[in-house]
Amino acid sequence: MCFKEKIVIITGGSRGIGKACALSFAEAGAKVIFTYNTNKAAALSLENELNSMSGGCLAVCADVSDYSACRQLADSVISKYERIDILVNNAGIVRDRALMMMKLEDWQDVINVNLNGVFNMSRVCITTMLKQKTGCIINMSSVGGMIGMPRQTNYSAAKAGIIGFSKSLAKEVAPYNVRVNTICPGYVETDMLNDLKDDIKEKIVAEIPAKRMGLPQDIAELCLFLASDKAKYIIGETIKIDGGLTA
Amino acid sequence: MSKNIDTEKIKAEIKQIVAEIAEVELDELTPEATFTEDLGVDSMMALEIVASIEKKYKISVPEEEIPTIRSLQNVYDIVLKILG
Repeated sequence: MCFKEKIVIITGGSRGIGKACALSFAEAGAKVIFTYNTNKAAALSLENELNSMSGGCLAVCADVSDYSACRQLADSVISKYERIDILVNNAGIVRDRALMMMKLEDWQDVINVNLNGVFNMSRVCITTMLKQKTGCIINMSSVGGMIGMPRQTNYSAAKAGIIGFSKSLAKEVAPYNVRVNTICPGYVETDMLNDLKDDIKEKIVAEIPAKRMGLPQDIAELCLFLASDKAKYIIGETIKIDGGLTA
Repeated sequence: MSKNIDTEKIKAEIKQIVAEIAEVELDELTPEATFTEDLGVDSMMALEIVASIEKKYKISVPEEEIPTIRSLQNVYDIVLKILG
């Protein structure tokens, strides 16, 4: 798949699934602008790696839960590149706790980053995509947004919200050749799962028909397919990629 | 004097663009007619009008101005302010 000269924004791109997507898009020739929140050294190292594959890539420190930061990011991309072709709303956090132990800020932080962040970035990019009469938004949800997971009321609510948001927006903007789709990864080997103990990980893997956790690259390949012309008739779809976990 | 002539020309061009996108006859399109209630122009059509005007005059209409566009007169005002 070729994304030569395509302008791609990826939120939460410095590690995990976002990083795999950034590398894959850059390898396919895209100019990747990715956001990061805390790890500047990792972000700058990735920025260099991306630029060695495709010039014009950029790491931007931005909190997606801050609308004005998103506006500033989109404005700077539009001013530099005059277009936005693909937006991957990937940034996400977890604050897993049983509801009886969940603090208000655990709820609010997850909703603000995982759901409001999707609104913020989509809102600041959509006018440009509509004017171009071409564009693609890929939202990273989770199987946790489709089936309930204990201790994840905040995360599941946000991820289910993304699915509804994507379906509504997909119908709204499809006549303007802007496609919106959602990816629901299952368990993927990222920092997000690092806190799990080994015996828990083993139990999880035992439940997955594929007998392994997903790799960030597995998700990146679906992301690139959805962003490509090969998926031009896929609109408002929610695709699980979980090794058969929820089949 | 020449500025007045230009202004009238630009207004006529904008009116033509709006009439085509809103699919209304030129004589139905008064400057004060509201897009939503009188002409059935939705927000997407308004965006198409903005995109066409930006392309024709090589200007950029600030995004925050777009929701304020409610009539042909609003479009005149915004475009002439930018061009002026």
